Amino acid sequence: MKPSPLLETRNLTKVFPGVVALDDVSLTLNPGEVLGLVGENGAGKSTLMKLIGGVYTPTRGQIRLGGREVQFRSPKDALDAGISIVYQELNLIPHLSVAENIFINRLPRRGGFVDWGRLYRQTREILESSGMQDIDPRAIVADLPIGVKQSVEIAKALSYDARVLLLDEPTSSLTGPEIENLFQVIRRLQQQGIGIIYVSHHLDEIFEITDRIHVLRDGKTVAVMPTAEATEEVLVAKMVGRDIQNIYYKGDHQPGEVVLEARGLSDGFLKDVDFKLRRSEVVGIYGLLGSGRTELLKAMVGARPVHVGELKLRGRAVRMRHPQDAIRQGMVYSSEDRKGENLFFGNPIWKNITYLAIQVGHFVRMGFTRTHEERSAAEHYAKKLNVKAPSVDVDVYHLSGGNQQKVCLAKALITDPDIILLDEPTRGIDVGAKLEIYRLIADLADQGKAVVFVSSELPEVIGCADRVYTMSEGRITAELVGDAINEENVLKYCLQVGTTGEAAS
Amino acid sequence: MKLKSLLSSSEFIVFLGLLAVGAFFAFTSPVFLTKFNLLNILLQSSIQGIIAIGMTFVILTAGIDLSVGSVVALSGVIMALMLHAGVPVWAVILINLLFGVAIGLFHGFSITKIGMAPFIVTLATMAMARGLTMVLSDGKTIFDFPASFEFFGAGAIGGVSVAVIIFLLYALIAEVVLRSTVLGRNIYAVGSNPKAAALSGIRTHWVLYFVYVVSGVSCAIAGLVLTGRLGAAMPTAATGYELDAIAAVIIGGASLMGGKGTIIGTIIGVLLIGVINNGMNLLNVPPFWQSFLKGAVIFLAVMIDSLKNRPSEV
Repeated sequence: MKPSPLLETRNLTKVFPGVVALDDVSLTLNPGEVLGLVGENGAGKSTLMKLIGGVYTPTRGQIRLGGREVQFRSPKDALDAGISIVYQELNLIPHLSVAENIFINRLPRRGGFVDWGRLYRQTREILESSGMQDIDPRAIVADLPIGVKQSVEIAKALSYDARVLLLDEPTSSLTGPEIENLFQVIRRLQQQGIGIIYVSHHLDEIFEITDRIHVLRDGKTVAVMPTAEATEEVLVAKMVGRDIQNIYYKGDHQPGEVVLEARGLSDGFLKDVDFKLRRSEVVGIYGLLGSGRTELLKAMVGARPVHVGELKLRGRAVRMRHPQDAIRQGMVYSSEDRKGENLFFGNPIWKNITYLAIQVGHFVRMGFTRTHEERSAAEHYAKKLNVKAPSVDVDVYHLSGGNQQKVCLAKALITDPDIILLDEPTRGIDVGAKLEIYRLIADLADQGKAVVFVSSELPEVIGCADRVYTMSEGRITAELVGDAINEENVLKYCLQVGTTGEAAS
Repeated sequence: MKLKSLLSSSEFIVFLGLLAVGAFFAFTSPVFLTKFNLLNILLQSSIQGIIAIGMTFVILTAGIDLSVGSVVALSGVIMALMLHAGVPVWAVILINLLFGVAIGLFHGFSITKIGMAPFIVTLATMAMARGLTMVLSDGKTIFDFPASFEFFGAGAIGGVSVAVIIFLLYALIAEVVLRSTVLGRNIYAVGSNPKAAALSGIRTHWVLYFVYVVSGVSCAIAGLVLTGRLGAAMPTAATGYELDAIAAVIIGGASLMGGKGTIIGTIIGVLLIGVINNGMNLLNVPPFWQSFLKGAVIFLAVMIDSLKNRPSEV
């Protein structure tokens, strides 16, 4: 008889009122294996994770751990059984030390006082056993780079003697080297026989780190395959349920005259930035987190005070003091931070879509909003951008990331601007929605609009942009056109520091 | 609004609470349901109501205005002194309203330009305004005003008290502003997500100035009505009103985190507190117990709303 897998689900089904979130899913995870779990948003990945992690209880089906059926009534049950989840959002307490965070609810005590010596010793043991010996147990979490915080979160999960580790989008805020570190940690855990379920939208990561891939669509298993036998095309086709010939899409447009130009833009962070954007053009900006991409866009729309430099809009010098000035002149900015800076959670889709438009007089007469017009225009745009929701009265909070992003885009586009600055419009959304957004960006340029597309994902910048700026430490390090837009160049220049304005073509 | 969302709204639940408390007093006190008593409740609630309307604007932006009670008293004393100095009634009222605007501008400036926390700024104003009230009045109550002035607090039109008319009219205007104007929508937006509001083109500083001005003007109107009704400006008037106003707004379904709340809810909240005060007086509940019971009702009302809105998953 085959040895039983470490973790197994059999015909696992979860029904919420009106929705079958997970339908008859059987999954296995062997000791020392990294299983990639992929699927679009809403495919059932989170539901599956939450069932395994004891957050939900299954409607039907079994969860088996080491060959025995288990029933979890709470996340604590799962934790006690050796299953730990690391969620996408970090749950560390910033002003406490690494050690305190790891042992937050079970600090070792002696006579009613915290036994600091033992706490630090135990923390060091955990960190060492997973290859994180470089982390100081006494360091304050707030002072650590985000990649190290992620490692601390994993160490915390392991500190419960986990045999199964579930990682939900662990790299969403990590940079390249930090991802490499994470992978080293994962490989180390693998050698110790820990089974890992790795959920990610980043297929390149899935290919690099996993042994097998489990694909979900609409709550069902659509494929399980060894990673060695999978290709990107096959995976994407399985995830979206149709064949994809060309993921990226450049559209059919010829860049026209310059509509937006920045010269020598500097503020506390940006240093002497020169930037041009043409009609019928998609300009990609690539740079690591903190390279100044967001700051540049915000400076141009007046959301950040500019100290030095000149901004020309359609050939005329302008001064943007507030985002409203930019909107009035046909230039919109859509923030990367959907929850923090773009959407109004607690408000329905339609109000979110029209908030920007009513500032500049759309759907308004004498200061009064014309709710009917407003709502039907929002409905029209939601439909046009394929926002999946029962109605535009639904609170945006309840939408998936991809649909929230589409609401953000609808909000930006409803005033029919001709300069559109999109900051990471594809961050954390599923493949299907990404494809729609690539298509939309190309269509906008085809219609004569000027589009800036900021992204942290190299292939999409290369695949979608007519021209690319690379940024690093508040400077533009290169401008790439035509064949010069390739992986090697973009990476080279975005890691470069010190030079400015070098052009290559 | 669809029936289902109406039935599950915070306002409706508090309204049921109001009916339940009303029914209880109707059974226990023969006087409660009389027309005279009901009008009396409305009259007593009108001053609280006017203040609470201003407070609703502020709380919608996730702010707070602790100065309201003191500003009402200061407004009363300023008007009393002007009247005694022979300033005509219309000018007194106009200057009083401008005084309310000035208080609001001061708060708006401190919060948006200096970056002070609303709680602290208005706490400071609360003490300063009360202090000025004492200084100006020398700690004494000021009497004896023209009838045309007292009309705004004590008069009646067609059997309905002018105070009540001012309250209901003010509530109607506030409701329309919040519901149907861009400005109203922006107030909700700023409370819900100030960063997103600014990036959406909303001039968030103007919005904050506006809500504190509304609160200041509300206090000036309340000062006018209160002074007229009492026929006296008392330096200790309206003490503790800020807490009743905040309680009414929160009972009415607003969130201190901003972005959530309505004028209808606030009015129901004010009436609930008014009914409880009135009913306990009718039942001769000792004053010390009145305070305790009122606190308990506030706790219950907010507890029900919190339980209902508690997130269902971790």
